[in-house]
Amino acid sequence: MRDLFPILIFSLLVMFGYAGFVTFGIPLIVPAPPPVEEKLSGDITMEQYVAIGDKIFHGKGTCTLCHNTTGHRAPILEMASSDGEPVGVRAAERIKDPRYQGEAMNGEEYLHESLVDPSAFVVAGYGKTGTNDTVSPMPSVNKGAIGLSDVEMGAVIAYLQSAAGVDITVALPTGEAPADDGEEEEVTVAANAQEAFDKFGCSACHMHPLIDEGGDIGPDLGKVGATAGSRVIGLTAEQFIAQSIIKPNAVIAEGFDADTMPDDFAESMTVSELNMLVDAVLHPDKKPDQEPDSTEGE
Amino acid sequence: MKILKPVIAILIGYALLKYGIPLIGSKMHPGTWPVVPTSVMKMYMFFVVAAFLLIFTRSEEGYNDIIGPIADIYANPSKKVAMMALSVIVGGVGAFVAYQYVKPTFEPPVELRSIHPAPPSTVKAFNKSFSLQTLKNPYRVEDKAELEKNTLEGGVVFFKNCFFCHGDRLLGKGPFAAGFNPLPANFVDVGTIAQLTESFVFWRISTGGPGLPSEGAPWISAMPVWHTLLSEEEVWKAILFLYDYTGHHPRVTSEGGEE
Amino acid sequence: MLGKKKIKTSLFRAVFVLLAFFLFANVASVGSVAKFFDHKAYAQEESADGGEEAAAPAEEAVDDNVWKPIAPPVLEAKDYPVISGVNSRIAVWIVAQLHLFFGAFVLAVPIFVWVIELIGVMTKDPRYDHMAHEFMKVAMTGFSLSASFGGLLTMLLIVLYPQFMEYMVSVFGKVMIIYALMFFAESFFVYTYYYGWDRMTAGGNKKLHLFLGLGVNAAGLVIMLLANSWTAFMMAPAGLGDNGAFLGDTWAAIAGPLWGPLNLHRFIANIAYGGSITAAYAAYKVLTTKDAREKAHYDWMGYTSFFVTMAGLLPLPFAGYWLTKEIYGYSQQMGITLMGGVFAWLFIIQAVLIGALFLSSNYYLWCSLGRTNGGDRYSFMIAPIGTVILIAFLMWFTPHTLIMSAGELAQIGDAHHPVLGFFGVMAAKNTAVNILLLATFCSFQIFSRANKKAVGDGFWQKNGTAVQTGLYIAAATNIIALGVYSYFIPAAVRIGLSVPQVCTTLVVLVGGTIIDVLMFKGSREVGEMKWGNMPVRSQYALFLLAVSFTWLMGLMGYVRSGIRQHWHVYTVFRDNSVNAFTPTLPFAANMVTLIVIIFVALVLFMFWMPILASKKKKDPAALEEEPALETGN
Repeated sequence: MRDLFPILIFSLLVMFGYAGFVTFGIPLIVPAPPPVEEKLSGDITMEQYVAIGDKIFHGKGTCTLCHNTTGHRAPILEMASSDGEPVGVRAAERIKDPRYQGEAMNGEEYLHESLVDPSAFVVAGYGKTGTNDTVSPMPSVNKGAIGLSDVEMGAVIAYLQSAAGVDITVALPTGEAPADDGEEEEVTVAANAQEAFDKFGCSACHMHPLIDEGGDIGPDLGKVGATAGSRVIGLTAEQFIAQSIIKPNAVIAEGFDADTMPDDFAESMTVSELNMLVDAVLHPDKKPDQEPDSTEGE
Repeated sequence: MKILKPVIAILIGYALLKYGIPLIGSKMHPGTWPVVPTSVMKMYMFFVVAAFLLIFTRSEEGYNDIIGPIADIYANPSKKVAMMALSVIVGGVGAFVAYQYVKPTFEPPVELRSIHPAPPSTVKAFNKSFSLQTLKNPYRVEDKAELEKNTLEGGVVFFKNCFFCHGDRLLGKGPFAAGFNPLPANFVDVGTIAQLTESFVFWRISTGGPGLPSEGAPWISAMPVWHTLLSEEEVWKAILFLYDYTGHHPRVTSEGGEE
Repeated sequence: MLGKKKIKTSLFRAVFVLLAFFLFANVASVGSVAKFFDHKAYAQEESADGGEEAAAPAEEAVDDNVWKPIAPPVLEAKDYPVISGVNSRIAVWIVAQLHLFFGAFVLAVPIFVWVIELIGVMTKDPRYDHMAHEFMKVAMTGFSLSASFGGLLTMLLIVLYPQFMEYMVSVFGKVMIIYALMFFAESFFVYTYYYGWDRMTAGGNKKLHLFLGLGVNAAGLVIMLLANSWTAFMMAPAGLGDNGAFLGDTWAAIAGPLWGPLNLHRFIANIAYGGSITAAYAAYKVLTTKDAREKAHYDWMGYTSFFVTMAGLLPLPFAGYWLTKEIYGYSQQMGITLMGGVFAWLFIIQAVLIGALFLSSNYYLWCSLGRTNGGDRYSFMIAPIGTVILIAFLMWFTPHTLIMSAGELAQIGDAHHPVLGFFGVMAAKNTAVNILLLATFCSFQIFSRANKKAVGDGFWQKNGTAVQTGLYIAAATNIIALGVYSYFIPAAVRIGLSVPQVCTTLVVLVGGTIIDVLMFKGSREVGEMKWGNMPVRSQYALFLLAVSFTWLMGLMGYVRSGIRQHWHVYTVFRDNSVNAFTPTLPFAANMVTLIVIIFVALVLFMFWMPILASKKKKDPAALEEEPALETGN
């Protein structure tokens, strides 16, 4: 056994040498702790959920594009108005309306249905022209460019109920937290005119060959290009269309109301998007895939 | 006195590392004296000593040449003084090394920052997200005349913005360079853009010093966040200029390629 | 007497054939292997059976019978069981690493035992057979220790990480049973192989014995492959649906992207590792044996083990490159975590340790010249070879990121060192490694010819050395030229240059060996090889080799596991325990040291076992004053 001692001591010295080198010979890097996990339902309160709904209602959801006090293009939702009580209150009444064909059993379900299937019940006077209030001009908010998730729609409903002062019946989300500020800031630039139309919600009010199903609240964009050059003296067709997008109230087309179209596109649009839109309005029959290059790099 | 053989070999090795490498370096970068950093020097010398000891003790004769005189001093009662002296010297050296380790110094903490930290997979700049793995320079076109035009425009961007720190010869020695730590990057050096992809360079320019991950600490680079100051196009064109002017080629990622 | 033995043998054969048939029939009865692996196919079949029996009421019952995939649960820290005073991760870490050390050892030893036995049969030299038997003797205690740690590891995992184990069972359940069954096969083969050694010595019996050895290795290999599949799955899960639930195809989960490279890397490393441990055993015996003949035997055994280690060590870096490349291919994020960031310095440590391995290997070879009678002819080459190895090694471990003080930074005038900066990149490191390999092979060639003298007037006898010298010079020039050239070309092309560099090294390895064979055909030995004539310090080089290899293996285990970061199963099953963080390198180094110390203590116990056994055998022999050597050898 005594023969083993030198070998043991040698082995220990080698190992301590290595461990010493690792400890003292190289710089100490402390690894970052594991990232904090996504927020779970337990962490979010109803107040926060309502606040998120508020944000979505006025932002990502693009609801106020039509549901505003100036345009009268859609019923006012969050407060009492000529349309009646706030929607949170009147929702419960709607399902008793004889014209109502949907499946909702209570106010919350009605609101949800209105979001995903707007034509289930169209408030008198707000339907698409010529449909006798059976088809709504509103897009389904869980699809297309708006694309709200269930959790986000829940937040909107919670916001509307909260604004109406009724009991909030929406359950707090289980699973991943709804979009926080970070997601809203992440804006992608539209690659072509069609995407641009989607992104800025033009289809809600306008028609155009690139828009599948447009509204008639604003002028038909497939037609205005032909006359744009002669509308205002001193402005070329491009300049006029650009002005109409950035400053919509500068010239109001006959038969349409002022103050309907949002006037903040100058901030939210990139120059390339504006150029694409002007180009598309001016040449409505051009194929979409030819669009982007014509304006790039100017 | 054969014991001197390994000692001389080790001393030659030390001299080569201590003076040889800086000498070569000073010829490459005149005006500097690129010493081997102490941290590396310690590792080098450990293995120089170990290797020469191994080389010289491979045979019994060599082993006895080295161990013999030492054993003689310790085993021979008549050399008591020499034994004492040797013990004092060995102990003294140990004490000196230990003192060097623990004595307080006024040196700032050593530079620990990683020069090329691992890039994130995506980068947010210009209000967009870029995937660094697939990102290509859109202005590096096939057409020669077009490429030359883009590069020239990139040169203008460089001299209007980057020149002040990175210098007119891209050596990282612009008029403001002396004020910075870390020093502005030297693009001519093979260790910088020559071994990076264009997407990496794009990331470093667009998000600047504040965009560095934590490995880039403690002295975060003073590089501005250029995506707030330049356009995407200007950044890409400036990158073209950097490679064109230095004659380097950007690294191209191959499938699954490391390094 | 003879008849009895014959009957015994044939009886044994009959039992063996029956057993083999039984095993085969068992596997075959399961049906096609693919179906066995496919939970879904299995479940569907069951539900189809149920459907035939009855129509409406059976439907619900069928639903219950259908196998359902388990999505990995989202856990919280409180979900992990705690045994007070025990840190779950550290407990599992220690036991898993010890299990791996012993497992690697006992899987590797039978491989080269079998090869050595085969060499013994072919050369008809009984010394090989003796040595192979003794290697096996050393490994025997290892089998039970490995299994014991395996059992402890399983229990620890079930107790401390029940949800994780439930999930792993949901994916690999059937494979785990096969894995456990393989131990029966392994035990059967190991015991018959080892205890049958002295009985099955000649003719057909020897062939049967070799067949049993093959069985040991086949069973061992399957065990390793299956265990690797779980590790590979945790790093790079495959065969899962969107929510991380198992889709039902176990084969897809086994054959994930990292399984292949992990298998190869571990297989080669096991051989090198097993060789280094048996080399340490032999070195210990050389140091403690007084008898000259035994000393010679163990010196030879140590040399053979050392040779096995080198044979595994030389291709290991390339297997490592492949694994790294596949990790990058699987996940860029994982690759960067591995090579940059937190673990970047780990590869400097690895370089230092591998350098220590190469230095001690070369030292052993240089000392080996002392065994020969003509070694003096070549001793002049050792200093140059040593210097080349030193320079290549210094280049190899020069870090990419240099740590420098502010004063040094000012002197250098740049964050990048003009000279050392060249060594930090892969081009320099590939060049350095290949030169390192060439120099080591040169040391080996010197030793292998030191005791011989070429006889005859043939071309090779006269010019062989000159051709070999030319080969070395040409290869070194080529490797260095490629390395220098790679600085002048784009990085993408540069990576490709490492291939011709490696090929150059391989040409020298193969060409040099062939020329040796041609040159020393019918050569004259200068004198008898002086086995046992080795200085004590050369045996310490073998200890250094074994300790460094074990320690390095522990450290690389830490990083292989560490790059999963805070995941049980990467990107699928998150680790939310309090121990989810990545420990620092110094902490890991201390853990590894602790584990290796435990391992060394157990290995000493393992080495002591055969000595204990042989002592009992020897005692009566000593009383009768018979020559102990005959039985001892």
